[in-house]
Amino acid sequence: MKRVVSVSLGSSRRDHRVEVELLGERFEISRRGTDGDFDRAIQLLKELDGKVDAIGLGGIDVYLYAGKTRYVVRDGRKLMDAVQKTPVVDGSGLKNTLERETVYYLREHTDLLPPGTRVLMVSAVDRFGMAEAFAELGCHLTFGDLIFAAGIPYPIHTVQELEELAARLLPEMSKLPFHMLYPTGKKQETQDEEKVKKFGHYYREAQVIAGDYHLVRRYMPQLDGQTIITNTTTADDVAFLKEKGAGCLVTTTPEFQGRSFGTNVMEAVLVALLQKPWEEITPRDYLDLLSRLDFKPRVVYLR
Amino acid sequence: MASHEEITASLLAFQEGYNKNERLKIMNRDWDRVVLVQANDIPSQHTLELRNGELSVREGAPPRADLTVIADSETLADLFYGDITPTEPYMNGTLKIIGSEDDIVRLDFISLMIWGE
Repeated sequence: MKRVVSVSLGSSRRDHRVEVELLGERFEISRRGTDGDFDRAIQLLKELDGKVDAIGLGGIDVYLYAGKTRYVVRDGRKLMDAVQKTPVVDGSGLKNTLERETVYYLREHTDLLPPGTRVLMVSAVDRFGMAEAFAELGCHLTFGDLIFAAGIPYPIHTVQELEELAARLLPEMSKLPFHMLYPTGKKQETQDEEKVKKFGHYYREAQVIAGDYHLVRRYMPQLDGQTIITNTTTADDVAFLKEKGAGCLVTTTPEFQGRSFGTNVMEAVLVALLQKPWEEITPRDYLDLLSRLDFKPRVVYLR
Repeated sequence: MASHEEITASLLAFQEGYNKNERLKIMNRDWDRVVLVQANDIPSQHTLELRNGELSVREGAPPRADLTVIADSETLADLFYGDITPTEPYMNGTLKIIGSEDDIVRLDFISLMIWGE
């Protein structure tokens, strides 16, 4: 049996373990949250190194993409460097393929994304592939990177402006402690009421809200039937979204026993299946494998 | 070591860079803050005030500050002239910023928008 473990800076309350069979291989997939404790995450990564088939890093990004430029998040890189033997991924490789495909799939197979759909991406630099796909299909986009990460009420509406601002800001901002830019640990279990009040209108004006689940959740006001496109949702998250009035939930990663895992976990699974060094894996490898696995977005109507 | 006058000049350059940036003024129109800039190796204090998106600079300390920026005079002058970014000195402790984390990120953001490439 292959073992894949996701080590996350997120809450340990979201820990989960499943056994599944993929392309004839048995997998044990588990997630271990460290409640925002960076040192504990490093220690756990060192313990797992060489003992499992692949590791995913959750609750943090190592690489952010804008256009063709890749930005390295310093704290994410420190975690990655703690692992020497086992392949370790942060999900960014898969985000650029699977999440792009999710957008095309929704246009082709559902009525959730007609041309001109108003889409809010709570953050786009961690999902640049998805942002490009929405833009390509003629959606009206609002990128909330500055709004939600820095509290600046400045919606970005084009991929070009997102790239321009990323080039100016990310080389330095990616050096800050990650918790200053993204909710980690206990913050993932609460909402930022001040920002919900101040910035909730961006959610209400959108028809589709997409992006990292913890960001989506943290700033979500009462909704009116909007579609949420995200991943890493638990049964409790589905209940939360229903209560908030979301109309539909789309998860980009498949559901295993009631839980859609993060892209880092799924990328780790794919790496374990491919048995190639991570640096040599191409988007084509992921796309071929995803096709063989017949992974499709999960669409759950909540009303 | 930089002089008080050099810090003043660097803050005026920062103010000029800020006020030339119309997008930055729009981004900060909701963020009214008073910032005390204080050197820890020479007697030098300045006040930066953001109000309705406009930035003003004056010598001396404010009666009350939302944020306090403390560093040696050389670091302050380098920082406000844009010769260095705030991240490194902030991370290595040369630069201390007292205030909420949200405000610290915002101040970092402003300096990168003025000087960042």
